[in-house]
Amino acid sequence: MHSMMMVVRREYRERVMKKSFWIGTAIFPVLMVALTVGPMALVGLSGNKPQAIALVDGTKKLREPLVRELGDQKLKDGTPRYRIEDVPIAGTIDATRASLEGRVRSGELFGVLTVADDIDAENAFNFYGKSVGDIRSIAEFQGALRRAIIGLRFEKANVAVDKDVVAKLMAPVEMETFEVQREGGSTKKGFLGVYFGTFTFVFILFMTVLLYGIAMMRGILEEKSSRVMEVLLGSISPNELMTGKILGIGLVGLTQVAIYMVTAGALRFFVMAKFSGAEFSGVVSTFTPAKLVLFLVYFILGYFMYVALFACIGAVCNSEQEAQNLQAPVQMCLMLPMMATIFFVGHPDSLVAVVLSLTPIFAPMVMFMRICVQTPPAWQIALSILLTAATTWILFRAAAKVFRIGILMYGKRPTVPEIMRWARS
Amino acid sequence: MTTAIAIRDVVKAFGDFRAVDGVTLDIPEGEIFGLLGPNGAGKSTTIRMIMDIIRPDSGTISVLGKPASDNVRNHVGYLPEERGLYRKMKVLDVLEFQGTLKGATPRDARKEAQVWLERLEIADWGMKKVEELSKGMQQKIQFAAAVLGNPPILILDEPFSGMDPVNQNLFKDQILALHRSGTTIVFSTHQMETAERLCKEIALINKGRLVLSGPLARVKEGFGKNSVLVEYTGDGAFLASLPEVARIDDYGAYSEIRLEAGADPQGILRALSGRLRVTKFEIVAPTLHNIFIEKVGAPAVPALERVGDA
Repeated sequence: MHSMMMVVRREYRERVMKKSFWIGTAIFPVLMVALTVGPMALVGLSGNKPQAIALVDGTKKLREPLVRELGDQKLKDGTPRYRIEDVPIAGTIDATRASLEGRVRSGELFGVLTVADDIDAENAFNFYGKSVGDIRSIAEFQGALRRAIIGLRFEKANVAVDKDVVAKLMAPVEMETFEVQREGGSTKKGFLGVYFGTFTFVFILFMTVLLYGIAMMRGILEEKSSRVMEVLLGSISPNELMTGKILGIGLVGLTQVAIYMVTAGALRFFVMAKFSGAEFSGVVSTFTPAKLVLFLVYFILGYFMYVALFACIGAVCNSEQEAQNLQAPVQMCLMLPMMATIFFVGHPDSLVAVVLSLTPIFAPMVMFMRICVQTPPAWQIALSILLTAATTWILFRAAAKVFRIGILMYGKRPTVPEIMRWARS
Repeated sequence: MTTAIAIRDVVKAFGDFRAVDGVTLDIPEGEIFGLLGPNGAGKSTTIRMIMDIIRPDSGTISVLGKPASDNVRNHVGYLPEERGLYRKMKVLDVLEFQGTLKGATPRDARKEAQVWLERLEIADWGMKKVEELSKGMQQKIQFAAAVLGNPPILILDEPFSGMDPVNQNLFKDQILALHRSGTTIVFSTHQMETAERLCKEIALINKGRLVLSGPLARVKEGFGKNSVLVEYTGDGAFLASLPEVARIDDYGAYSEIRLEAGADPQGILRALSGRLRVTKFEIVAPTLHNIFIEKVGAPAVPALERVGDA
């Protein structure tokens, strides 16, 4: 016991005292924000200069309503974001469009909108742009176009409607979503908020497990290749060494998560107040105390389960290249639920979600996602915790045995049946 | 004389290869014990079983009266043949860690580590990282790591391999000092000269089996005083063809001759006179080296052959 605590102490001190730990701790949230919010923020940043759009209009009536509808979109200095340039048709619509291509290519025009004579015809509206990837601009433009066309359609159908009435009828419908809590009452939740909140947690779990699982594996490989292992085993049993290493590295991971929790808590009070937008309040509402506790439970279970697996890989391999091959499936198991976060958040009750949330290797992540979005039956949560804990315990025992035998194997890597036999023996 | 380590009918096989094949051995307390044998004989496997790093397929091992599986590690210092240190750690931190593994508190372990660094003449290097040290210094650290905690038994697996003569001498002195203070020392090696000088008791293992064991003096007696040492100047090549000579180790100016059974050493002396200038002629018991060769056949079983067998 004393020796084991000393291994915990060494692992913890050697890792937390390193500069790389603190650098990693600082970079991690930046990376996370970059991966989640980054792409959306980038799309939102689509230039702060007016965009000229050439209109080749077969109906010759669209310019005025379109300009009006686009009028709301303004740049920071208050000038309109979109400038419509009505191009008279010379010959056919297509020929006119073709004559404008050069200006589109040079960037002078953001794009060309062609409108057929008959707005009810198929493919009546076409947009030719240099970059059709600017989703935000195109979506805005399409929305304005739709509203303008609806006005024209009313006119065409000879329905005399006041434009203000049209605007009223066309007003977007905002629906707010609430999650019914088990304790009664309900919490206001938006999909995006829930998605980001969940993804944040899953991503923390994923990164921490991967980071420290691989650190564990590397540590064992290094101790084997530098021949430290046998010196250590002269003073401590393989079981104690293994347990000590896992606990020590585990504490390092927990330290890191604790740092994030405290930081997030501070952010919630000092920064979040400034951004009371729906997306952020969704993230905040995902951080309820009960969920934090469950997050810790699943974090610890998932962490130990995967780290035991990585330790096994380290114990049976002799080089990092060898370990790469074996760790790939383990990484896939970790990656899969994270990639499918959007599915699990959208369908927390689906059969796939329920089954995976009760399958130990996926449970920590999938069940946690379900908990973030809805309130799964208590028996499912209890069962998944129980199954995962049991699996972790078995893996732990098996890992210690594989470790004991594999640790002194230099040279040949054992086959899978051999490893199974060790684990059982 | 009490027994420090008792090994009974121990067998350990790796696949089809029986690394240790029914060894029974008593290692007496307070002695320097030589565990001898060629490379691949099963010495390191035996030691690993004593340390409970691997477990025997059958048979028992007890250390100080307790089964080896019953956490005997705190009573045994172990310097493995394959040894290494955490390269990125500071010397004192490494030693402190090793000391704490043996049961000491970090503070006590550090104090003891400092004492050993002084004894091994590297006291100034405590705050350096291990990777900054020369190989000889790393060997000293490894030795210190093995003896920390003052264990009653010390197992040294090929302690002098790759060591320069200065360090060899330093370690020999430290080993003898530990022996005088009552430590049982198990010393595994294939260097017969060192074993002959240090060990009072020996066991010779070959191909996983015990070939002979007992006090060195009695082992030698068993072979009788049937060897002759000759120092000479001149060409001693003809010595090998003398009828009294069973085998000869010719070192040029020095030969060790093993006599045929019943041969008279005086016959050799007569044959020498006039042909060589003899500076020394001595009738002796065979050296451990010669006993080893006679029992094992060759100084070292080629490693490749063993891999092929396994």
